[in-house]
Amino acid sequence: MISSPVPSTKPLESIDERLRMSGVSRRSFLVFCTSLMIAAPFGLAITDKKTPEDVAAGLGKVIRPPIIWLHFQDCTGCTESLLQTSHPGFADLILNVISLEYHETLMAGSGLQARQALDEAVTKYAGKFILVVEGSIPTKDSGIYMKLAGRPALEVLADVGGKAAAIVAIGSCASWGGIPSADPDPTGAVGVADLLPGSSIVNIPGCPPNPYTMLGVVLQYAADGTLPEADEQRRPKFAFDRDIHEHCPRRAHFDAGNFVKQYGDEGHREGWCLYEMGCKGPDTHAGCSTRHFNEIPDVWPIGVGAPCIGCTEKSIAFRVPMFEVVKLHTIAAPPTSYAAIGTTYGTISPLATGLVGIGVGAAAGAGYIASRKFSRVEADESIPGSKSAGATSTKSGPSDPEPPGGASA
Amino acid sequence: MSVALSRRQAFKVMIGLGGVAVSTVLPKTLSAEEHPAHPVAPPDAIGMLYDSTICTGCKACMPACNEANGLAADSVLSGGIWDMPTGLNAQTKNIIELYQDPHSDEFAFVKKQCMHCLDPACVTGCPFGSLEKSDWGAVTWNSSLCIGCRYCEVACPFEVPQFEWESWNPKIVKCEFCYDQRLKKDLEPACTAACPTGAVIFGKRADLLAKAKDRITNAPGKYYEDRVYGEHEAGGTQVLYLSSVSFQKIGLPKLGTTSLGHYATKVTSLIYKWLSGPILMAGVLGFFIRRNWNRHELERLEHEKETGFPDQL
Amino acid sequence: MKGQQLTADKRGTTLINHWQYGVPVTRGPVLTPVLLVLMGIAAIGLGLCAVRFFSPLGPFSSMNSAYAWGIWKTFNVMTLTALGSGPLALGLAAWVFNRQKLHVVMRTALVSGFLFYATGLCALGFDIGRPWNFYSAILPWRWNSESAMLEISICMPLYCFIFLSFEILPLFLERLYYTGNEKSRAFLRHVSPVIRKAYPFAIIGAYVIPLMHQSSLGGLLLLAGTKINPIWQSPVMPLLYLLAAGLCGFAFTIFLLLVVCLRYARVLDAGVLTELANLLSGVCFAFLAVRLVDLVVRGQLHTAFALNGMSWVFLLETSLILAPAIALRFRRVRETPRSLLNMAALACVGGTAYRFIPTSIAYMPPHSTRYFPSAPELLIAAGWISLGTVAFVFAVNYFAVLPGEATAWDHTFRPFGWPHRATPSPLVPAITVESGI
Repeated sequence: MISSPVPSTKPLESIDERLRMSGVSRRSFLVFCTSLMIAAPFGLAITDKKTPEDVAAGLGKVIRPPIIWLHFQDCTGCTESLLQTSHPGFADLILNVISLEYHETLMAGSGLQARQALDEAVTKYAGKFILVVEGSIPTKDSGIYMKLAGRPALEVLADVGGKAAAIVAIGSCASWGGIPSADPDPTGAVGVADLLPGSSIVNIPGCPPNPYTMLGVVLQYAADGTLPEADEQRRPKFAFDRDIHEHCPRRAHFDAGNFVKQYGDEGHREGWCLYEMGCKGPDTHAGCSTRHFNEIPDVWPIGVGAPCIGCTEKSIAFRVPMFEVVKLHTIAAPPTSYAAIGTTYGTISPLATGLVGIGVGAAAGAGYIASRKFSRVEADESIPGSKSAGATSTKSGPSDPEPPGGASA
Repeated sequence: MSVALSRRQAFKVMIGLGGVAVSTVLPKTLSAEEHPAHPVAPPDAIGMLYDSTICTGCKACMPACNEANGLAADSVLSGGIWDMPTGLNAQTKNIIELYQDPHSDEFAFVKKQCMHCLDPACVTGCPFGSLEKSDWGAVTWNSSLCIGCRYCEVACPFEVPQFEWESWNPKIVKCEFCYDQRLKKDLEPACTAACPTGAVIFGKRADLLAKAKDRITNAPGKYYEDRVYGEHEAGGTQVLYLSSVSFQKIGLPKLGTTSLGHYATKVTSLIYKWLSGPILMAGVLGFFIRRNWNRHELERLEHEKETGFPDQL
Repeated sequence: MKGQQLTADKRGTTLINHWQYGVPVTRGPVLTPVLLVLMGIAAIGLGLCAVRFFSPLGPFSSMNSAYAWGIWKTFNVMTLTALGSGPLALGLAAWVFNRQKLHVVMRTALVSGFLFYATGLCALGFDIGRPWNFYSAILPWRWNSESAMLEISICMPLYCFIFLSFEILPLFLERLYYTGNEKSRAFLRHVSPVIRKAYPFAIIGAYVIPLMHQSSLGGLLLLAGTKINPIWQSPVMPLLYLLAAGLCGFAFTIFLLLVVCLRYARVLDAGVLTELANLLSGVCFAFLAVRLVDLVVRGQLHTAFALNGMSWVFLLETSLILAPAIALRFRRVRETPRSLLNMAALACVGGTAYRFIPTSIAYMPPHSTRYFPSAPELLIAAGWISLGTVAFVFAVNYFAVLPGEATAWDHTFRPFGWPHRATPSPLVPAITVESGI
């Protein structure tokens, strides 16, 4: 893949020089710049230009940033996503834009050679190189669960990370622990920022993240020594400020109430909304819905019919069950459904009306019985409650003080 | 002793008791605002102007309101998915409703929230002053004073206050003009801030009224009755409406121009002024009752003399 | 007892006010099947109240925000306290207008009134949503003096639990006197003069305060404005509510006296009933006159006689009041127990209808609303009414409520000594006492 290895004694050249040296066409470079512009439409100084030509002009003068790429507890998926960029020339191109000094997956050497290459690069570019970390770092039992050339990952990170100009934690594992940190977390996996809180670290969570986000951050740092604006989880805002749901291509189905109820059902085949299948889109901040993978439209989970698992969210990915429906926050109903002006409030229960009927009937009946009692004693025109009335009244119950029909009023 | 107290003493006691009662109520009575039939808006009164002809029904104001006020989405009707209230309720302080004529193409949106009356009936009726007219005229609710009697719901002609029927610790939910959430921080209410079309705008009530009248003058015949709803309704409200269809059709009740507070208190405020009515009544009744009671006591003593029993025992 | 020779055992009639005297019923079993049924309903109601204590109002009642006041407020409080206004109506007639005859039936009115108020207020306690904030009632600086609701929420408990309780205090004192030991009698001899000294002042409060809050119940509805049908919505509603309270107070006292005296074979002077009937008729006419003048002045007469839905309700309600008003003008009706009972019942229904309709049928908020009390709501309302009835029956049986001569008091009778001694006391059988007034 690395077409022309650079002798380590030579100083790094600018991107333009390197591309010319490697015979990469200007057209390919312009396509790359366009991709970068799409990946970071705003919030990144190097892509904040009107045309790809302007971006290419700026980018060409940038000295290729030296990068040391360390693997800890990972699956190398993040590296794969960098390499699996679609056009055959792209991985080449990308590796010509940056100077990858050390990368365990891609380097030819191994064993002592590799160890020497790392030491050499760290010494040569001390304080200048950018450290990219892929994978989480085990902390339990003095970090014995992951060793690099006989040294635990903790030690390697402290050593190399201490000399880096900036650290990019790529992938969810390096950002906060990722899959290795999922319950029961046997290795005590943590992210880079947990161990080196004082360093300038950019987290690019995702499983895997979009490689252009990483390239954008690295190139911006190489160009003017600044890191893009980040949120409280150190994620660059240009890529992580909005949630998937806001720009999801299936949003129209959400608004229309078309939901996939089961994998493979009609709705699934029609590409309906996956919300009810546990899609975490409404709670997940990432650019996936606008920046798909491998430069191919619709290459991302929801695009291929799988619900988002919220891999960029520490509180969701590998913690909330994949098919659990998330709660929606402050999402108004689709504009097709409105409340009517005069919605009727309240309901009437048949049981209650029946009860009132019985009550009114009982009261009226009691009143009638009381009245009847009087009719018996009326003949002698005596005052009420006289002795004759008393004799007949012992059988009647205590009368209801409620007037007959009082409840019906 | 023969007679408990002389009449003079009795009146003294009554006056004393009345004085105690007056001294407790008087400060409040004196400071309480009068209820003029047609209240005048104070110069700092803020307002909202909602123009139904501009509103596109995007509902941007609804989640903005929910967010600003920390209200959960009412998703009962939508099966747990969308915020789909059917009207103002315990989770909805602000709602866009749609009027559709079943027989023609006529339709209009209407935004419902508290009208922030100049002389609010809810404030007049609230027994312990839980609802009050705060700075700039916002009608706010204070949880520590409310007893949950729901008189405000009965009193409000616009049926704005909503009781949390499902809560063990029920609150009165109503638009408070984002008083605590935003007004105090010099921010405009969430709904007006969120409105993308300018259908609902925020400002001083006087300015908005002038603006509304300008709109009417500039487009004669466009607006219903060429008038602003809320200018005089129920004594005037701080939320003003413009509409091309009848106000009653979009659910704004037909109300007189007199404030309800004035209607309800014009007689009682006289009777209860400094508790004069009850005290007077107590004096009159007391006179007759004393007279009859003295008769009773005389009769009792006479009877005692007759039978030799010490009082009735 | 006037003019009647006292028995030699030195037991007089009453402790505080000898114009009001009575004797407990000391015959027959107290626990009749009807009473057991009422106790059952009361138990269900109280059980549901316990549930309500732990449950929000929503799932329990069918009240909603458009129709915010359910029957606990509108029926148990606003309507039934009209029936419980007997103490007010009779008291004003007896003390202020000097109808001496009425004192003897005051206790019946007092006990029934107290029970109506107390049960209504208990039901109200379960109706309000945030009762823990009610302590504001004793902090005058929190009062909103313009609010009719404030007047009611303070005056009603004050009236019921201070003034009415004070007025029924003699019942308990007499009970203690007749069944207690010498020590308690000595104590009563000591405190009675003190109570007598306070008595006239206390009853001033007992009339002024219900005059205030019974009119405020009408004033409460003024703020509802156009939500109440114009036939009922009127600035004179406070006065009409007060008159309806007086009307119901008289009518219900007549009804209750007739029914109870029939049930317990108690002799009652026809003069008292005639007096009450006269007063009832007068109040009915006064009520109707105010109603008519009000409708004419507001120009709503055509609405009232439009012969549409609400108009029929108005006409029914008015005729329920008009019929007894006219009928009781006739001596034959007044003096026939059965027609008097029927007319009193009609007036009760008419008066309560006036009190109930503005908050129920005629309450038409702009939002269309369906309100019909839910089953638990109804059972609680019925439970409190039943509890009041049961309490009344016990009061009649154990306390000197019903008019009667003190000499008829069965001193061997002990409270809660169930079952009751079926045979009359050998001392003086209650039923043999002649008319006492």
